[in-house]
Amino acid sequence: MSFLEVTDVTVRFTVGSRLAARIKGEKPPILTAVDGISFEAERGESIGIVGESGCGKSTLAKAITGLVPVASGSISLDGRELAGKRDQALRRRIQMVFQDPSSSLNPSLTVEKMLSELLRVHQVVPRDEIADRCAELMDLVELPQSLLEALPRRMSGGQRQRVGIARALALEPDVLIADESVAALDVSVQAPILNLLNSLRDNLGLTLMFISHDLAVVRYVSDRVIVMYLGTAVEDRPTAQLFDDPRHPYTKALMAAAPKFGVKKAPGESALKGEPPSALNLPSGCRFRPRCPLAADICEQIEPDLIGPSETQRAACHFAWEENEIPA
Amino acid sequence: MSGNILEVKDLEVSFTAHGRTVTPVDGVSLTVRRGEALGIAGESGSGKSLALKSIIGLLPPNAAARGDLRYALDEKEPIPYSPTGVHGHGISIIFQEPMTALNPTMRVGDLIAEGPRMHHGLDKNAARTKAVELMRRVGIPTPERRAKMWPHQLSGGLRQRVMIATALSTEPRLLLCDEPTTALDVSIQDQILGLLQELRTSLGMSIIFVSHDLAVLGELCDRLAIMYAGRIVETGPTDQVFANPRHPYTEALMTSVPSFDASAEQLQGIAGRPPDPRNFPPGCRFAPRCGYVQGDCSSAVHELRTSGDGRATACIHPELIEGVKE
Repeated sequence: MSFLEVTDVTVRFTVGSRLAARIKGEKPPILTAVDGISFEAERGESIGIVGESGCGKSTLAKAITGLVPVASGSISLDGRELAGKRDQALRRRIQMVFQDPSSSLNPSLTVEKMLSELLRVHQVVPRDEIADRCAELMDLVELPQSLLEALPRRMSGGQRQRVGIARALALEPDVLIADESVAALDVSVQAPILNLLNSLRDNLGLTLMFISHDLAVVRYVSDRVIVMYLGTAVEDRPTAQLFDDPRHPYTKALMAAAPKFGVKKAPGESALKGEPPSALNLPSGCRFRPRCPLAADICEQIEPDLIGPSETQRAACHFAWEENEIPA
Repeated sequence: MSGNILEVKDLEVSFTAHGRTVTPVDGVSLTVRRGEALGIAGESGSGKSLALKSIIGLLPPNAAARGDLRYALDEKEPIPYSPTGVHGHGISIIFQEPMTALNPTMRVGDLIAEGPRMHHGLDKNAARTKAVELMRRVGIPTPERRAKMWPHQLSGGLRQRVMIATALSTEPRLLLCDEPTTALDVSIQDQILGLLQELRTSLGMSIIFVSHDLAVLGELCDRLAIMYAGRIVETGPTDQVFANPRHPYTEALMTSVPSFDASAEQLQGIAGRPPDPRNFPPGCRFAPRCGYVQGDCSSAVHELRTSGDGRATACIHPELIEGVKE
């Protein structure tokens, strides 16, 4: 049994006005943001999740953290079920770092107040050790002690993101979920944050879930990558193999579309035409079919399962593992 | 210099507030040739957007711009122009966020038709036909139907195409792009970059493309200008700048970008943070963060020194960084 097990997790939201729907005598439309995702992670493993906006990657993160309710499926950590209501001790074990550090930190609290409140409420350390622990946390995220007295607005974006990481680490989690945590930062600031996440994972044995739309960044921090499209996982494979030899046509197209630093490529050569369909109105069979260069009759009728030659090599395409069927 | 469509010399943008003056753009000079795509790279706060906006006179009201701007209409020599006077006449701009840049109270067809009606005196019907034509040109499917839609009914990628159509409606010779793909997904970004590239070759337009993303600039641009703290620190052909940077900031920026094809090497990043425009360091503004810093850097006079191969650097010790490369 694996450390973190996500089995068939589905998250649904009601969209639009419930009142308007009731007046019309209809049911409000339901959007399935995450549609039956399963994966496992070992302790200390780093999993990257990539996909375009609206593919459900953030919703999946929030479901695992417990910030949105799960419609069906189960999430278990170290053998304990998390999908229902969590008690305080369980909540501590999975923590999240958000995208925009300026809007996810309380603007009226100093860093010290922010961290000591967490340590006190969750009784992480005895009261007389709180100040020492705050100082330790600052060391851990490589910030000077003097910033303990600072308000978020006095700090740069990179420093704020480090505070966001310190806040997550204060609760001594087993799993750290970073949701687009470097997307709002300049490249020169982004690099040290990525290095920090890598070293925290090595030193603290954290299981890291790194969510991003940026393939190169995901490659840098992840052992394994899950590619999501419209609420489902389309490919789940070790990073090096996924990048060297993508099997799902969506993964291939995504890689062809991404601008690559240091590789000469003309823009507009990606096979991805058009835009993803609405999650409210999914096509029959394979969801990627309308944009897929390989689409055949079978794709219209049967939605492909996420399968492969082994548990760690999986792709959800009817043609993923037929060696010669896929154009390079 | 008849090949140039735009010449900017010693451009300065300053703001005065509470009796203090800050100068976030401090002496920028650049030229754009006909049909060329020039990329301006820099991090937030480097002044790249302000420099771009002052070319077309779109600075905020409390900003003051100084400098010599010359623009070549038709096939003539570049002559001085008024930035606010070129609206609809030769220079257009597209922005990062297509939702906030499009008027939400106008149907997109009318939005696109507004430029030709105001600046080129087209009547309502002719302008409308032209708008639909332009929408088809920028790859919007079923343009007749979509012309009657409101901006909020369109997806991000389509909105960006509408903005490009709006910019093209006045037949510009120079298109200014202010991070137009930053808010888009990679697949849509690729489509928009492909469209810009195609428009550039088929219409013979020049482009100035401002972005923080070196990989995007590498795809589209012939030449690069790297900006740091309000100044251009290096210029040169894109391939050569990437292969062999001559300013430590360019090199540091490049070692901060995770590479797509190799994952092993450690990312460097840049220590410290960009300087505050209210308090730029003396001499070379990158010196406090520079790995090659020498004693005389803090008194260096900023000057882009050109070398024979079409490149220029503001670093006074370019031999140090070259030495490492060999």
